[in-house]
Amino acid sequence: MMASTVLFYLLSVVSIVFALGVLFNPNPIFSALYLVLTMIGVSLMFFNLEAYFIGGVQLIVYAGAVTVLFVMVLMLFDLKKEKQAFTKGLFSSLLKYFSAGALLFMISGASLMSMGLMTSGAEKAEPITTKQLAALLFTDYFFAFEVLGIILLVVAIGAVTISRIRGGTHAK
Amino acid sequence: MGSDIFEISVNAVKIIALFLLMVQIVPLLVWVERRGSAFIQNRFGPNRVGPLGLTQLLADAVKFIFKEEFIPEKGRAFIFYAAPVVALLPATLAFVSLPLSAPVNVEAFEMFGQNWGPYTFQFQGFDFGLGIVYVLGVSSLATYSMLMAGWGSSNKFSLFGGLRASAQMISYELALGLSIVGILILYGTFDFKTMIAAQQGALSFHFFGELVTIPFLPNWGIFYQPLGAILFLVAVFAESNRLPFDLPEAESELVAGYHTEYGGMKFNMFFIGEYGHMLVASALMAIFYFGGYNIPFVTPDQLSGFLEGFGYMGTTNSLMTSFILHLCMFLKILFFLWVFIWVRWTLPRFRYDQLMDLGWKTMLPWALANTIITAIIVFVMRS
Repeated sequence: MMASTVLFYLLSVVSIVFALGVLFNPNPIFSALYLVLTMIGVSLMFFNLEAYFIGGVQLIVYAGAVTVLFVMVLMLFDLKKEKQAFTKGLFSSLLKYFSAGALLFMISGASLMSMGLMTSGAEKAEPITTKQLAALLFTDYFFAFEVLGIILLVVAIGAVTISRIRGGTHAK
Repeated sequence: MGSDIFEISVNAVKIIALFLLMVQIVPLLVWVERRGSAFIQNRFGPNRVGPLGLTQLLADAVKFIFKEEFIPEKGRAFIFYAAPVVALLPATLAFVSLPLSAPVNVEAFEMFGQNWGPYTFQFQGFDFGLGIVYVLGVSSLATYSMLMAGWGSSNKFSLFGGLRASAQMISYELALGLSIVGILILYGTFDFKTMIAAQQGALSFHFFGELVTIPFLPNWGIFYQPLGAILFLVAVFAESNRLPFDLPEAESELVAGYHTEYGGMKFNMFFIGEYGHMLVASALMAIFYFGGYNIPFVTPDQLSGFLEGFGYMGTTNSLMTSFILHLCMFLKILFFLWVFIWVRWTLPRFRYDQLMDLGWKTMLPWALANTIITAIIVFVMRS
């Protein structure tokens, strides 16, 4: 119990520091690499909470596949141009400040509202096995699961279509 | 780690021994690779330093350590130094979670005037009960070492190598993941030890409710999943960047790809990482499709009973059983390591578009078809 509490605080601090690194590092490549470390930190926290399956999947999907794509795409772009396009102009800066404010509001609201939910002496839940997880996904949450799949398919087809119109590598 | 000092120290020694096993097999594999390539290409290979050229490895190690430290002028020092370390991590973490033999049961005994045990020691570094999910998760991080090396070197060739590596890894990870879904459906578990236990004895399966036994074949996964085994083998070749998939370091186009700027021990760590990936891939191949640490037709219980006939009882019996099964596992691993080397010196390298076509247009559909057909057959046969 002691060790897992110590690990929890250690991992929290490390994850938050890396997450701040994502935000404040001026170089996008380093930002993306910080994001990888944040993802690994989160997955280790799942391991620490004995949610091994979610920890493993977090490692495969987010740390392994998604962020590799981020890093690769960042390396392919001319980043100076992209950065200028994002930092210049009144409208985009207003948008930035507005979204940052909205995000801050949401985070503080969520943390304030969830303050009383967890009591310190709460009983530890039984770890859910992969089988139970699969049964839940294919019975109670079947509709949401399928809708999510269709949305992702639509997004993928849309991305391919747009990139073809705007003169990608396979433009006609 | 354990409940008392004996168990904790044994487990710690075990993890260190497994790490050293992985690191120490690399020089031997390098020797096998050089002699093997020479054998395949009708040359001599290294044969001057020591018997059969074996001490060449020591000379190489000394050379690696005493090489000059070097960072490219415009390179990014932190990433440049971190990349080789990151290269070593995923293979190590994956390898220590693989079961290499049956667990050792130690009976209660007396030592230093104290009673100890009984204990059960797993023949693996640690066990989350996650099996293949953990191994896939950890080894998917290997891409970052190549991306970091490519970016940190500030070199066109390195960057191209890193980009190729990541594109290739993403493409083949899908096929890799899907190719083993068939075997997961078949055994109904993520856990390696349950899979290995399901592959004991002679080939026997349920065919429309009747039990069919074929006595002259072992009960291995490859007889149920031949297509899955082929797809898995090809995908791990691509994942460990070995020929015919070594485009990230294609020396005829990119000098040496992502490790162009590396020398000495830093280069050697990339090398150890690559061989570590081969080791993990070979062990996975043995566990999924070739019965793991089982001796064909002999179950671990039969082996332990056979040893009891010679008067070995209790702890000694369990230790000897584990050791013999471990040798069997390692023979299988060594065979697949040799296959890696054999293929490298036999096939030419793919072109980049061929590589992508193979990954997305051939392996992925076949792996999907394999998954669906396996699911239907398992459903029909067991209902």
